[in-house]
Amino acid sequence: MSLIVKNITKKYGDKVVVEDLSFSIEKPGVYALLGTNGAGKTTSLRIILGMLSKDKGEVLWKGNPLDTVNANVGYLAEERGLYPKYSLLDQLLYFAKLRNVPKKTAMSRIEYWSERLSVNEYLFPPKVKGKTVKANKADQLSKGNQQKLQLMAALISDPELIILDEPLSGLDPVNTELFKGIIREEIAKDKYLIMSSHQMPVIEEFCSDITILDKGKVVLSGNLNEVKKSYGRVNLFVKSDVEIASYIDSFGIEITNKTPGEYQLKVLGEEQAMAFLTKLIQDKIPIVKFELREPSLHEIFIEKVGDVHEEK
Amino acid sequence: MSMKKSNISGWKDVFTFTLTQTLKNKAYRVSFLIMALIAVVSMPLIQYLTKGEEAGSDKLSPVEKVYIQNETSLQNLDFSSLKQDSTLKNVEFTNLTEDYDAVSKRIEESEKASVLVTIKEQSGAFMLEFSKASKGPVKDAGISALAEKMTESFHSLRLLTQGITKEQNELISAKVDTKTINLDAQGNPVETKDDTISFNEYWFIYGILFFLMMVTLMASTQVASSVVMEKSSRIVEYLLISVRPLALMVGKILAMLCAVLLQIISLMVLVFISNKVSAAMGSGSQAGIMNQYVPANIFQNLNIVNILLCLVLIALGMIFYAVLAGMAGATVSKIEELNEGMTLLTLTTLVGVYIGFGAANVLMGSGSNAFVTFAFLFPLSSPFLLPGAILVGKASLFIAAAAIILQMLLNVLLFNFVASIYETLILHNGNRIRLKDLFKLNKGGIKA
Repeated sequence: MSLIVKNITKKYGDKVVVEDLSFSIEKPGVYALLGTNGAGKTTSLRIILGMLSKDKGEVLWKGNPLDTVNANVGYLAEERGLYPKYSLLDQLLYFAKLRNVPKKTAMSRIEYWSERLSVNEYLFPPKVKGKTVKANKADQLSKGNQQKLQLMAALISDPELIILDEPLSGLDPVNTELFKGIIREEIAKDKYLIMSSHQMPVIEEFCSDITILDKGKVVLSGNLNEVKKSYGRVNLFVKSDVEIASYIDSFGIEITNKTPGEYQLKVLGEEQAMAFLTKLIQDKIPIVKFELREPSLHEIFIEKVGDVHEEK
Repeated sequence: MSMKKSNISGWKDVFTFTLTQTLKNKAYRVSFLIMALIAVVSMPLIQYLTKGEEAGSDKLSPVEKVYIQNETSLQNLDFSSLKQDSTLKNVEFTNLTEDYDAVSKRIEESEKASVLVTIKEQSGAFMLEFSKASKGPVKDAGISALAEKMTESFHSLRLLTQGITKEQNELISAKVDTKTINLDAQGNPVETKDDTISFNEYWFIYGILFFLMMVTLMASTQVASSVVMEKSSRIVEYLLISVRPLALMVGKILAMLCAVLLQIISLMVLVFISNKVSAAMGSGSQAGIMNQYVPANIFQNLNIVNILLCLVLIALGMIFYAVLAGMAGATVSKIEELNEGMTLLTLTTLVGVYIGFGAANVLMGSGSNAFVTFAFLFPLSSPFLLPGAILVGKASLFIAAAAIILQMLLNVLLFNFVASIYETLILHNGNRIRLKDLFKLNKGGIKA
């Protein structure tokens, strides 16, 4: 059981918006689609969901072309969509009905999720004696609460495949943690997730496999750990109470960033880093921090797509 | 959970949700309440306001005595024959023998049910001048009824005073009509039937046509707004992972149609009740307001078959315009662009309505001809024109059946066209899609 995306390509006239995107999710987990704004992430997700036609390629779910109407898929779009003037409960029940969820099951799931996401006061407004309780509508909710309702709509059918487009954008830290907790739970329930996000630490936290898109083209794809390993441990962070610029110069090490008291360097390899450390110790330079590590996803991302945009 | 769905499966869920939400909608409820209130109150109100003011009704005249001052050269004008009229049987007609001012003063002060009529002759014309008390039982309507009858009587009296006999008078006053007879090849007259419509029938057809145009435009606009609202708010993305675009369109259009038909039928029932109430308020011989103003022959044509034909035509017409509206809504991405997107729908509706108006005018002027038959059958105009024409008995069952078949054919063609492009349209985001682009889409030239 898996999702296979094979060579999907999408053009608008002569403009290629997604070119030969391929990846697969063999086992339950989260796959990340990364890219700058306009890189083609949302377009790719819409093609996978069958909302947009594709010029080439195929999307297979459990060995057959993915048909979201017949498969159990949940989707949280980047741009939130709720009927602004309709009752929230009616909307959720409608989305559940369209996904063939029996009303009783839908109600119990709505009750569970509304409790979990702390929106029960909007869905089930408390009754006040002698007053008619009016159902809440989407345009009365904050953006964050609307996002919670959207997530409920995405999860109402207990989907096997969940597609989350920028799920954490616009959330405050408390609600970000809440959403992250729910994503963790879904992973634990052996769900297949595809997630697009700009928040690299979140991707690093959840995703084992990634694809980085730039202007519709795949610039990097694969297992996140392997990608990092392929870069090697070349990022060196050195903090000292004295100035060490002359030492860095003498070793010909590239400075990638400098903050007061700390240098961020790019070394050729572990040997060069060890030689540099040995020299500092020999000269009795007081060292506060000496850390050699693989590049972060953020650094890899900037390296892969940053240059292109800087050239503009 | 997984089950195969056809292209329109799920339409019932869309239908139920859309209909429920439309019925719950405050604007829908308020507009319906206002229309219902107008329907219920209007006829009893008209009956109340026009009570006692119906010229030519069989009510007794409030006038008790008429003083006549004859200032013309005509002698012996005797209006007493008017007492034969049932409404004037209690009125006393007398020539003025007292002082004019004294009688005027008396009428104003005490003799309030009397009227002073001065007959004048000025440069070859006669004038009947009526003076009444400013306050009292004699109202303007009562004077109008009296004036109508006295003028008619004066016409005969002035001839009789000139020595013309009653028979001669009838001969002189006889109505002159003209008639054109067509001859066949052998020179024999061909019987032609007068199939023009009366002024009242014309206004009845016009009223129905205008009402249907308003209702159709309202329903179509609701469909288009609903589609573009789902598009602009991105709800459509959530819907499309569960249901196919065609099911969305079918469910939405049928729900809007039901909501509008529910309004029409409810209003018809309320108008019927209102008419009954107005009849009960009137005097015994009077029917309801509707019977007084609506052509009598529509009640002869008001049977189950004709009502069904009208409802089927109205429903088919609404489906046609609603599908067009659904397509119009899907061609734009923002609610602000909707007016531009509705151009095709508005033009199509106007073409249908103007052809309908034209045909109603032709029907009143010269009766049925090729243009009228075309307007009856043309699918853009038939849903507006034909229901009224059926109810006044100017459209045969054959014409109605043919119009329904043509409308169904056009609906199927339009539905197939829209079905082929709707999926692309509904997901299109950007500049408005123009008419020529729709045809390109239909041929597979453009993709979402």
